[in-house]
Amino acid sequence: MLKMENISKVFRTDVVETHALRQFSLNVDEGDFVTVTGPSGSGKTTFLNIAGLLETYSSGTYELDGKDVSNLSDSARSRLRNEKIGFIFQSFNLIPDLNLFDNVDVPLRYRGFNSAERKKRIEEALETVGLSNRMKHLPAQLSGGQQQRVAIARALAGSPRFLLADEPTGNLDSKMAHSVMDLLHNINAQGTTIVMVTHDPGFAKQAKRNIFVRDGQVSENTLVEQDLPSAASA
Amino acid sequence: MFFYYIKLAMLSFKRNPILSLLMVLAIAFGIGALMTTITVNYLMSNNPIKEKNDVLYHIQLDSWSPYEAARDDDAPPLQLTWTDVNNLQQAEQAFRQAAMARSGGIIEPENPDVKPFQSSFRLTFTDFFPMFNVPFIYGAGWDASADQNAEHVVVLSRDVNDRIFGGENSVGESVTISGETFQVVGVIDEWHPVPKFFDLNTGDFGGTADVFIPLSLKLPMELPSWGNTNCWKPPEGTGFLAFLNSECVNYQFWVELTSPQDEARYHTFLDSYVEQQKALGRFPRPLNNRMSNVQEWLEYNEVVADDAQIMMWLSMMFLLVCLLNTIGLMLSKFIGKSGEIGLRRAVGATRGDLFMQHLVETACIGVAGGLLGLLFSYFGLQGVRTLYGEFADRLTTLDSNMMLLAIGISTITTIIAGIYPTWRASAIAPAGQLKG
Amino acid sequence: MTQLNLGPIFRSLLRNKTGAILIALQIAFTMAIVLNALFIIGERNDLMARSSGVDEANSFQISSTGFATGFNHLNTLEEDLREIRALPGVRNATTINSVPISGGGWSMSFQVESGENKPSTPSSIYMVDEQGIDTLGVELVAGSNFTKTDIRLRDGTQEGWPQNVIVTVALANDMFPELDYAETVGKTIFINNTEPMQIIGVIDQLQAPWIGWNKLENAMLSPEYIVGDNWNRYFIRAEEGMRDQTMRDVEELLAKRADERLVENLRSFEEIREDSYSRHSAMIQILYVVMIIMIAITGKGIVGLASFNVNRRLRQIGTRRALGASKANIVQYFMTENVVITTLGVIVGIALTIGLNMTLVSAFELGRMPWYFLPLGGLCFYLLGQVAVFGPALKASSIPPAMATRNV
Repeated sequence: MLKMENISKVFRTDVVETHALRQFSLNVDEGDFVTVTGPSGSGKTTFLNIAGLLETYSSGTYELDGKDVSNLSDSARSRLRNEKIGFIFQSFNLIPDLNLFDNVDVPLRYRGFNSAERKKRIEEALETVGLSNRMKHLPAQLSGGQQQRVAIARALAGSPRFLLADEPTGNLDSKMAHSVMDLLHNINAQGTTIVMVTHDPGFAKQAKRNIFVRDGQVSENTLVEQDLPSAASA
Repeated sequence: MFFYYIKLAMLSFKRNPILSLLMVLAIAFGIGALMTTITVNYLMSNNPIKEKNDVLYHIQLDSWSPYEAARDDDAPPLQLTWTDVNNLQQAEQAFRQAAMARSGGIIEPENPDVKPFQSSFRLTFTDFFPMFNVPFIYGAGWDASADQNAEHVVVLSRDVNDRIFGGENSVGESVTISGETFQVVGVIDEWHPVPKFFDLNTGDFGGTADVFIPLSLKLPMELPSWGNTNCWKPPEGTGFLAFLNSECVNYQFWVELTSPQDEARYHTFLDSYVEQQKALGRFPRPLNNRMSNVQEWLEYNEVVADDAQIMMWLSMMFLLVCLLNTIGLMLSKFIGKSGEIGLRRAVGATRGDLFMQHLVETACIGVAGGLLGLLFSYFGLQGVRTLYGEFADRLTTLDSNMMLLAIGISTITTIIAGIYPTWRASAIAPAGQLKG
Repeated sequence: MTQLNLGPIFRSLLRNKTGAILIALQIAFTMAIVLNALFIIGERNDLMARSSGVDEANSFQISSTGFATGFNHLNTLEEDLREIRALPGVRNATTINSVPISGGGWSMSFQVESGENKPSTPSSIYMVDEQGIDTLGVELVAGSNFTKTDIRLRDGTQEGWPQNVIVTVALANDMFPELDYAETVGKTIFINNTEPMQIIGVIDQLQAPWIGWNKLENAMLSPEYIVGDNWNRYFIRAEEGMRDQTMRDVEELLAKRADERLVENLRSFEEIREDSYSRHSAMIQILYVVMIIMIAITGKGIVGLASFNVNRRLRQIGTRRALGASKANIVQYFMTENVVITTLGVIVGIALTIGLNMTLVSAFELGRMPWYFLPLGGLCFYLLGQVAVFGPALKASSIPPAMATRNV
């Protein structure tokens, strides 16, 4: 599903070179649920951005769903994001001026579905997250957990093969966080591949597979206990 | 606290100079345009002799044709006939009275170095000078006997005296006007009533006259009729006298009464005069005499040009657009400051405090916009002067009233415009800016 | 191209009304002023484009006033005309009492029937000699020109008017609406109620001296020399392209006798026209300046609001990009948003424009604005909005999609 080989990402300013990822390699299979942990500044977010085609990389190869994405144009990458990837953000990133229906509608508009198709998908997605009775509400009228469920609905509505979550529980209390995690596991159980960056070791352990990022490199399946307190404080 | 707010306003200016400058510029453009047009309208609608407004009257008699009125609104003609102005003058029924007309001819100075030149005359009676408060530098108006005897006496304008006599006291000197020798009895100072209320037939905003001579010289010297001449029937007979005695109107008649209460008496006199004339076979129309004080006369003649009024209305809308623009800029400025506002609220500033703070900031922008707007209106008026030429020379000066008005309008309108953004700013919640 | 996001954009605008309303109102008022200004400019341009009938490019005037005792007016006039006509570069010259569209002149009323209280038609009168038609550059379209014997001396000794006159087509039609202008040749008309005169010719066109007069096209040529007051105005038509040289030559010629007369008012016809229409041309220029400043201010307002919205929505734009919006989609979003705002502005603007025009019509006797100003004007404001919003929209499209995962 996702295959990264020797990916490097270097940020250059006039005086400093920062290596956010060095020789980063990772394979994620179809149907997998991978969590990514690691201390602040380790390169988790950069990995996520590259995996989600939000950023380009300096060297290496990346195949998404069997297709090399190294040299795609900006608009081709946009289309790929739209069709294959669903995003879930730490701070939900709902558009405050739009109601739930219109928020879930956002990626579908760019997909070019007709309005009947969009309506069906929005209703289904909101049904899945249990918010179909709130379609006309604005994000500000919902609790944090509900907002994140809307964001998940938005990510699901386009039926992506691959879901990227960036600390989806980071801004939620534990009760809400658990319900969001249950939802993600359900989605994974229906075949969607999930990669999730998290700080929570408990949630990380629930995943099928766990990778740890430090200094821009992967250490597979090595959950080191002493790293956890520092991670939780980031 | 007020000075603290002023200081904060200055800091805010410094922090966001471009946005602040844009606001000041928008207001300055609006104020500049409005002040330019208001000034022109204000000067056009000026009453140049307010102090005597209630005792000076312009006289109209309806001497027109039996078949149609002189004017659309059934009004009498704007001017009078030679016969009538002379009769009214001689009746002396007012405290002061002056018949008058425009004429012109060539002035030949005695001094051979000064070339002869064409000049405009005001033919009138000696009451003209005290009646209209005409200022003299040298000498005075002529004696009443000069009017009676058609003496060759002249009052020079300052310009002409400068030209012929180099600005010296020329009383007693001689000058040749239209081929005849005149004695100078007086020289007047600069005198340019705006509008030229006493004769609105041609050039409402033009100069008064180059020289003033007795109207009684019109007949012996056969002086030409300048200005407007209108006739409803042709002169009977030929020659200059026949033309003078015709029903053609080319003369104005003004009286000064001792008090406004005297108006009714003079009006009765006019009516009885017209009745007498009717008995002689003149004045075929119904009795329709009018007396207008200066203000009424200016208004009746619609001295303010349509274009000037149109421009004033447009410039008001223009200012409105500038203010809308400013509201938009203020909103973005104040919302951009929500962090600071939230902090001030958090450390205990009340909504009222913040409202005042931003209102002061708004007023500062208004005052700055007004000052810059004044400068713009100065250039605007220069522009109007260039475009309109001589006509606008006397209509394009900014006086202190206008300057105060400019600052006042800009400050008040800016504050009104600023109320909504200010309210929005002061309504920002103490922790509002923390939300992601 | 994906479909327009009209619905969500509109609903989103409704939640942030103030900025949009401010811009829409600016557009509306600017539209009202600009369209009315353009309409006034158009009307004034039409006024200024009217032809006076004169060969404007090659004509000029000059006046002479004798002041010396013993000045012989008639001799001077005849000699002047002879000498001016003989100058190289002069096509022809005539005396004339006043010049078309110059602001000052003489008008009289004419009747088809003799007697008091009969319907009459006013017309301006130009006193010229038999060279008047050629000098003015007007065309005789019916009848005949004056001959030397038609010329009468107006010296104050004899009553009345010349026997034969020439009228413009417009005057002929005004007096004899049922006749073709050519049929008016030979007709008798009456001046001063009862004095007869005969139309011997019709000229194509010549304007009266007063540009604001409703009978501007009514003009009559009367064959006369005015003598007795020592004043004359000469109207001179130069050969093609020779005007400026000829003006200097004629002034020099007349100035030979500067000791007994004043030579002044040397002015080309173009100067006279400029002076007469100076208020209109000034109005036009002022309106242009006002329009340009207003459009600039409104344009700047649109840019400002759009930039403000872009800055306020950085994360939102990043999120949209992450969710699959292409750069073009983002540009399109802001352009579409502007279309919505402009539509609101144009709708209010149309109402304001009509209102302002109606006010001007009733208060200042302006004409009614033709309907097509509104759609064309609206279109221009859409264009202005799109141009103004393009910069901020482009800036918005360059916000990286990774903005979505950036934590504040």
